[in-house]
Amino acid sequence: MLTRIKPGSILLQGLLWIYFIVSVYPLFWMITYSLKNNDQIFVTNPFGIPLHMHFENYVHAWEQFNVPRYFVNSLVVSAISTCGILLLSVMFAYTVARMEWRLREAARIYMIIGMFIPLQVIMIPLAILVKNFHLTNTYGALIVPYIAFGLPFSSLIFYGFMRTIPVELEESACMDGASIYRTFFRIIVPIVRPAVATIAIFQFLGAWNEFLLAYILISDEAMKTLPLGLLFFQGQYSTDWGGMGAVMTIASLPMVVMFLFFSDQVERALTVGSAVKG
Amino acid sequence: MRHYFGNKWAIAAFALPALLLYSLVVSYPVVQSLYRSFFEWDGIGAGTFNGLSNYAELFRDPLLATSLRNGGIFALVLVVFQIGLGTILALVCADIKIKGRKVLKVGYFIPVVLSVTVVCQLWIAIYDPTNGLVNRLFELVGIPYRQNWLTSPAVSIIAIAFVNAWQFMGYQFSLLYAGIKSIPEQYVEAAIIDGCTKWGAHRRITIPLMAETFKFCLIVAITGGIGAFVQMLIMTSGGPGTTNFTLTYMIYRYAFSEFEYGYACAVSVFLVAISLLATVIINRLFRQERMTY
Repeated sequence: MLTRIKPGSILLQGLLWIYFIVSVYPLFWMITYSLKNNDQIFVTNPFGIPLHMHFENYVHAWEQFNVPRYFVNSLVVSAISTCGILLLSVMFAYTVARMEWRLREAARIYMIIGMFIPLQVIMIPLAILVKNFHLTNTYGALIVPYIAFGLPFSSLIFYGFMRTIPVELEESACMDGASIYRTFFRIIVPIVRPAVATIAIFQFLGAWNEFLLAYILISDEAMKTLPLGLLFFQGQYSTDWGGMGAVMTIASLPMVVMFLFFSDQVERALTVGSAVKG
Repeated sequence: MRHYFGNKWAIAAFALPALLLYSLVVSYPVVQSLYRSFFEWDGIGAGTFNGLSNYAELFRDPLLATSLRNGGIFALVLVVFQIGLGTILALVCADIKIKGRKVLKVGYFIPVVLSVTVVCQLWIAIYDPTNGLVNRLFELVGIPYRQNWLTSPAVSIIAIAFVNAWQFMGYQFSLLYAGIKSIPEQYVEAAIIDGCTKWGAHRRITIPLMAETFKFCLIVAITGGIGAFVQMLIMTSGGPGTTNFTLTYMIYRYAFSEFEYGYACAVSVFLVAISLLATVIINRLFRQERMTY
């Protein structure tokens, strides 16, 4: 931090704020047009703050479209997937971090490979698998794959965390006569809680916004998640910009608000993968 | 302790659920894709083995050239915009005494948490030829450069790639920013005391020391570009015609609307091979870089 304020630095600061506008203004624009009627959007006031608020766009959007339905679907799928990933990966990570068995190193590497497999090479056989298990158009069609895809990353984070826990903790628990299950759930799981937060944010956000698999595996209107449900406003209501803007604003709001409250944690959770994959 | 950590039942109970699920949903489909790429297969019956003819057909398929070209352009836009501009922004943001750094970082990151559907539909509106933000803006400043951004074959792929670059800029920015912050400040300060300019110090010290960060960012951007799909699907349905096809789009179309599953599997194996090749090449490049430094 050696630089004093110079003309050059003002120019560079300007660059930062210009990109800030590029990054944020489209969203601001979406919110403003969600409050305008077509006359304001297209003719009188395309750029600025709405002069007459048209809140009826929101009322329409909420009543006419299945937004609450999509919302519940997304919530159920994301929440169950996240819990499933946490439970399975914390148990798996413990066996490769601590337990003694012949194939543990092989199992660890086998799991890590999963992080480098693109979804595209899995999706065709997976779609057939889902059909054969009669899971098409159920929550299971998304929850089961989401859990499986989340395992490699989460296991690795838990594994790294558990390697730092001193083994004496478990030894003394063992001396005191606690079973391995008791030690695991009462001692280890509470210690890895910080990793739980990171993984939960990462996986929840991933499942909430997942598009490709949902697009292939879900066609039933009643089972659609938010990213999928919103897709069809474009074709059907392409002239009703206000309504579209309202729906998209409603759909984005929970994530943006959550992010504003927990921005540091979210950023850390999403970028921690770099340390792992690189 | 040995029998404690060697408890067979506990190991099975803890490890098997994850291993079985992972094998069924990830490993088995990968093997299946590879195996089925040698078959003529409609996804239902046993299919007929046809050796390498799916691959031979792939290299004759005119869509392959289109897809590779688009994947390349997509990756290039991501690299130039996210890593090029992102590095400059991250360096400036890390350096200067600046008010509102926190606000800037939050602003850059917000698009990352939005759903890709929302982002794509928002940008359809922004690119709208008559009422969209971009053309309106050009009109406002008096530039007569109006475009049908999404329907003209020449610019649409760049316009689409830009949407992805815009959305995930904050992600790459955070990685780069963290990379810069992990380098001890004394290195740059020492160079400046020795008479180096600020930017010279960054060019010779900060940027070379960020090799690991750049490597990861490049792998994310390039494999992301090669595998791109959702933006094309939502914004132009791969069109006009097939001009915006990518490898993933080919897989999607051959499998789910033409039911040539065997052929689609061959395309997916090819996609993985290309992505792996790109990753290996990037790793190679950076290994040499480190040796010369």
